Amino acid sequence: MISSNTFHVVTTELVVGAYSLAGLAFLFCWLSPKLPFALDRKQESGDVVAHAALMFGLLATPFAIWSGLSSAPGGEMSSSLLANKMLFSLSGLGLASGTLVVRWRTGINVWGSARSSSIQALSGMGATGLMLLTASAGGTFTRGESLLDWLHLPYNETMLMPTFLSALLLLLGIACATIGLRSSA
Amino acid sequence: MFNRQLKVLLLLTVLVASTTLSAAEPGGNGDGLRDMQCGGACHGDAGQNASSALTLSLQYSEHVWVGQPTEVTIIIGGVDVNHDENLVGLFLLSSTNANADTPLTDGWDILSDGHGGTGNYVERSTDGSGASLEHTWVLRPDSIGMRSLYASVHHGDAAGSNEGRPFFGVSEAFEIEIEAVPEDLPRLHEDFTPQSMRAVGDETQIDLHTKFTDAVTVEWRAEDGAVMEAVVNSSSQDHWEFILPAALSPSVMQWRAVLSGEGPEQTTPWFSIGAQTPAIEVENGPIYLQGLAMGLLLFGAVVALQRPRAHEEESLKKYDQTAEFSVTLAEAPATESPTQVAPLPEGGLPQGWTAEQWEWYGHEYLAGTYGDGDS
Repeated sequence: MISSNTFHVVTTELVVGAYSLAGLAFLFCWLSPKLPFALDRKQESGDVVAHAALMFGLLATPFAIWSGLSSAPGGEMSSSLLANKMLFSLSGLGLASGTLVVRWRTGINVWGSARSSSIQALSGMGATGLMLLTASAGGTFTRGESLLDWLHLPYNETMLMPTFLSALLLLLGIACATIGLRSSA
Repeated sequence: MFNRQLKVLLLLTVLVASTTLSAAEPGGNGDGLRDMQCGGACHGDAGQNASSALTLSLQYSEHVWVGQPTEVTIIIGGVDVNHDENLVGLFLLSSTNANADTPLTDGWDILSDGHGGTGNYVERSTDGSGASLEHTWVLRPDSIGMRSLYASVHHGDAAGSNEGRPFFGVSEAFEIEIEAVPEDLPRLHEDFTPQSMRAVGDETQIDLHTKFTDAVTVEWRAEDGAVMEAVVNSSSQDHWEFILPAALSPSVMQWRAVLSGEGPEQTTPWFSIGAQTPAIEVENGPIYLQGLAMGLLLFGAVVALQRPRAHEEESLKKYDQTAEFSVTLAEAPATESPTQVAPLPEGGLPQGWTAEQWEWYGHEYLAGTYGDGDS
């Protein structure tokens, strides 16, 4: 029987790998019109890679979160670092979901205008950044070091909002999502 | 075309060549209970390990009695001579199977790992250690007989031609004879297990359970090494209690007891007790709520910003080729228009033809050019 620690390592490797590939592909799609060697013609391939990798990472993320909670020593939120991991990963999950929904509704035309292209690329890369931050916090927790140590991020401090503010943001998010999703009807 | 491929290949070659082959983890993995090679967790792939030049030996008491704590010390020689280790991972093993080889699987209890834990693997910095490094565990055997113990080490190399390479070393087997306890020997009771961890800022009361003991004195020392004596009170026959002072910061304190009775005076091993900052007490609910709120807000923001209607209005329609297609249709030769249908021959449509086929290919049929002219 595989332990939750090992399962967490496996799922996080899948998540980090998929998101990293997606992030690079989003960057490529964003910059490809400006690249030499007629690479702009490859934008459609980059689009497929970016969104497929993001989709795969998104599917693996809940397993990584669940196994991370199971394997956390001393309880789910026994340290501020673990709390930060939860905040980063859920934020990344939301951003990645939004990016994929937009691509699904808009199609390849999402790269058709400078504004739309920038938003799509930045949200995709933002989701990647949040997942890499989560992984970096995990590395700091288990090994005492991580890839992003040079940023000197304050993982041991959690900005925990009052509950009413969280609820307010939740309502705001629901309103934004409703407006965005209804506009095509 | 060839030039472009060559440039891409060159770029990839430079990127691959600029990386270093490193499988060691310079930050270590933390103390714990691990089999040899730790399942590949310490060093990425055990197959990449090179042989360490460090010398390994074990030191233990002349008499090891069943049910009684005993010190086992790993001594590493040649530190910083052939390697620049920085950090070494030390294993105390009962075999070299690389599977189920911790002392726990061979009839030992690990009462202390010297760092405030109860694992068989600890990590030590070699900074300031000199040419040799020692680390002591406190074990307790559960039965009489011969036992084997091994010392093993994992480390990297931070300099020279071996920079980043993982190294592994294992000692020969050290045979330890577990003997029966002499009658009337003042000793700890078999059910006594020392506390190994506590919170910073908390005084700790230790309840000591002994056998054949008339008097107990307890010494403790902090990391600065000064040895202090604790006040010991007897609560009942062979039950003693004393208080260890609070630690002001995360650190390891050690204590030992000197037991007196009718038999020869006995001194226990140094037991380590670590102090760590207590875990924060945060309710999970608010964190989940905040995480969900942030996730949903980001989802909503992206979806709202990329509303299809707004997008379509300002889109450059890079991929929309409707206009181009319309122009193509408008410029298409009139002969391809189905409105220029060839007149039907006498007798109507040729056999096997449909009206639609005639609309498009009737001219070719009449000209005798349809289907290689054999119509």
